[in-house]
Amino acid sequence: MTREGLTRRDVLKLAGVGGVAAAVLSGCGPLAKHVRRHPYHDMPEYALPGKSVYFATTCRECPAGCGLVVRTVEGRAIKIEGNPNHPVNRGATCARGQAALEGLYNPDRTRGPKQRGGREISWDQAVDAVAAALQETPPEGIAFLLGLAPDHLAELVYEITQALGAPPPLRFGGLAMMEARETLTQAAEAVFGQKALPTFDIARADLVISFGANFMETWLSPVAYAKAYGAMRQGHPGRRGVLVQVEPRMSMTASNADLWLPAKPGTEGLVALALGRLMAEVAGVEAPAPFADVDPAQVAEQAEVPLAKLEKVARYAVEKSESVVAIPGGVVLGYDNGADIARAVLALNALMGDLGKASRVFFTPPAGGQAPLPPASFQDVRSLVDRMKAGKVQVLFIHGVNPVYELPEALGFADALLKVPLVISFSSFDDETARYVTYHLPDHTFLESWGYQRVQVGADREVLSAFQPVVVPVFDTRATADVLLAAVQKVGGALAEAVPYKNEVEFIQKKVADFRGRNDGIYQASNPKLFWAFFLQHGGWWTKEATAEPVQGKVVKVGTDKARFSQGDLHLVVYPHPLLGDGSQANYPWLQETPDPMTTVMWNTWVEINPMTAAKLGLENDDVVRIVSPYGAIEAVVYLYPGIRPDTIAVPMGQGHTALGRWAKDRGANPVALLGAGTNAAGDAAFAGVRVRVYKTGRRHQLARKENVVGVYGDGRRIPVTKHEAEAATSKHQE
Amino acid sequence: MAGGNGHEHTKWVMVIDLDKCNGCNACVTACAMENNVAFTGEEENAYGRGMHWLRVIRYWEGEWPNVRVRYMPMMCQQCSNAPCEPVCPVFATLHSEAEELNIQVYNRCIGTRYCANNCPYIARTFNWFDYEWPEPLNFHLNPDVTVRRRGIMEKCTFCIQRINQGEEQAAAEGREVRDGEIQPACAQACPTEAIVFGNWQDPNSKVRQLAQSQRGFKYLHELGTEPKVIYLASEKHDF
Repeated sequence: MTREGLTRRDVLKLAGVGGVAAAVLSGCGPLAKHVRRHPYHDMPEYALPGKSVYFATTCRECPAGCGLVVRTVEGRAIKIEGNPNHPVNRGATCARGQAALEGLYNPDRTRGPKQRGGREISWDQAVDAVAAALQETPPEGIAFLLGLAPDHLAELVYEITQALGAPPPLRFGGLAMMEARETLTQAAEAVFGQKALPTFDIARADLVISFGANFMETWLSPVAYAKAYGAMRQGHPGRRGVLVQVEPRMSMTASNADLWLPAKPGTEGLVALALGRLMAEVAGVEAPAPFADVDPAQVAEQAEVPLAKLEKVARYAVEKSESVVAIPGGVVLGYDNGADIARAVLALNALMGDLGKASRVFFTPPAGGQAPLPPASFQDVRSLVDRMKAGKVQVLFIHGVNPVYELPEALGFADALLKVPLVISFSSFDDETARYVTYHLPDHTFLESWGYQRVQVGADREVLSAFQPVVVPVFDTRATADVLLAAVQKVGGALAEAVPYKNEVEFIQKKVADFRGRNDGIYQASNPKLFWAFFLQHGGWWTKEATAEPVQGKVVKVGTDKARFSQGDLHLVVYPHPLLGDGSQANYPWLQETPDPMTTVMWNTWVEINPMTAAKLGLENDDVVRIVSPYGAIEAVVYLYPGIRPDTIAVPMGQGHTALGRWAKDRGANPVALLGAGTNAAGDAAFAGVRVRVYKTGRRHQLARKENVVGVYGDGRRIPVTKHEAEAATSKHQE
Repeated sequence: MAGGNGHEHTKWVMVIDLDKCNGCNACVTACAMENNVAFTGEEENAYGRGMHWLRVIRYWEGEWPNVRVRYMPMMCQQCSNAPCEPVCPVFATLHSEAEELNIQVYNRCIGTRYCANNCPYIARTFNWFDYEWPEPLNFHLNPDVTVRRRGIMEKCTFCIQRINQGEEQAAAEGREVRDGEIQPACAQACPTEAIVFGNWQDPNSKVRQLAQSQRGFKYLHELGTEPKVIYLASEKHDF
């Protein structure tokens, strides 16, 4: 019917032609270890023309580890669905998971190994280069920077660095920076005695008080939390869970709350303590130490939230709720007192236990008793940058993260990269970081990859989630684990003895072998081959029964230092885009085309400003403003946003790429440029401690908003969405 | 009788629980990926020419600081008494008796756009241009769904390709369609299980049970369009 669109007839025609199409369409099927090409008449038995074949795998668009089932037709991946049996997402997917096919089939992917300057090299040359780097560099000069997924690669790299005597790999990324995982982990250790990320069972909670945790957009395990949210609201007849959200900017999560408390930035911890004290008072017991130290009336005044509302929440918690959870996360952990806020909020959970409420906090048991390699803190990354700047790093390997884009410029990662003689990137895309590298050896996308992810949060049982290729590789890419293992074998000697795996699949099979002996899994296998088949068929391994038990915390001491902010007029909230995440998916056209839930804006960067503030600054919708912080400046388009404090503005992260592909490049702005490189007490980035000035540029840019549409023939004229806007429109009309 | 499921005929309805819906837009992306919906870019979208078959309407309510947001996924409501149908001069927009759905025959459509003008739900989108999926992005196009070209009106079909496949499968196995077996892409993806799809004629179906809720309403029902999408109103606890 059309040139690009495929009909069934086109599919058949395509199968006959050579090149990439034939590799995909008539490949031997992803289950084989090595790619073979078959003529069309010799298709594998399961690939019947017109019949779908489904493969279970795991999503890698964020580190949560949701199970997927991918529909393929004649060797092409057609549609992604959630794996209905998977303990994390139970059949559901988020928009980012849905769009993953646009990563797999993205025309702007890196199509083969390259050297600096874009010169193509062979994979043999690539392996030689990696082998030479491993062999000739003193171990302390080797550094690995990895993303939060996949876990199997991090574990393999860990073994290699151990064998070499090199520093262990650092795992980090933009999303990790915004989630402040280390802060949460340290606070959990203090309150619950477990050094891991806690999961909050909101499905069975009567009252959820979230302090900045945007758990339905991007935070830790958004699909698991969204699933639980649905159950919390309407899953138990006659008992509807209630959500209260405390944060300066109304996130999508907050937009679903029954009560949004826009506390003054940095006072969220005090609000938690005041709520605790009020709850104790309602219950008629004496509040323990950190709670007793605050005066609720004073806190209410300081935080600019009505005391009456706090009292009502406290009364609801004590009198109407059997279980209450308080969740710290997102932007409120990004102040320099974020560590204290996390402790205060988690301590509130402990206090609820003391008041006789059922605990709804648990820890996902690590799969096989082995926790995944934890992410680094911002502090660790800063030390790496310092070592790079000092010329102490001779070889840097980068996988699964785009530091030049995702980390604040104030950190100076790009400058530090110039001091490293040999930089090797494994990115699937020509991203910002890839411009600084000596070698670019593209990995497969996850839909072409083997691997596993140890689920860390969101599941009530041990989950080892499996990756398997659902199609044969589209381009001349190679699994990073295979490249590293080939290099290790080339180096030989003690290194090859310590890392004895022939290839990635063998490594994974050895790692999962122990699970075969377990009799509490969802399947039993009499031999390793059968176990491997089951492992892939089910999309991983997990236990039959939920084993996570609610934990009881203890009230801990909490510091009450005030948050410090940079000079400026307005607080700045930078948050991961609900659809583009940390920006790594910005080149997926349908994620650009999917409207942002709150603003309905597509394809650009907007800055959210309260209509009252905008009126003061003389700003209207679609005005382009210059936002200046002590660390940098960006330009963005004004969106009058009723759900934000008048002293705060917010900009989503995810756009503003200078590379990555045709749909991402030169579009919008990257607000990370505005952030400093300061840290909180736990070593995480103090990314919310920035204040900015906003200047009108006089230019205008019409944002593409879904809410504009007043008919198929909508001519793009705005319809007023707020009272202020309506008044502005009316007065203009009268002029 | 369709699908051999023993009922008089099937009547597919959708129930959307707005108290569960968190507005995340996963349904929008899922719909696009299933139905080969074209992306049009910033300029066209600013001009109101986005091709979304499904959109999540976001309402702002109240003034600072008592601001509240409501979400409402909106797609073709598959009206039993559809305003788009009588205005089509070429019978491209018509009612299917088998599925009781409002269908669009692309090969007949001549692009008068009368139907979109007459749709109170703004559910129809028009292909102003031929949109492209640069190779190899076109590899993921669903072979069960026609790729539309310039000058054609399109809209949500309740994923009719999935309905047909499900009914054929059930008929081939000589059984009735099981409740929940057929799911459109939006319902299948929905992270909060807000969207539920099923057969109204089956008295035990989940949609039938949910529709009994006192929170149920049909959007713009006063127009007499008899929509087949039933919304369940959101609740709020007032502090």
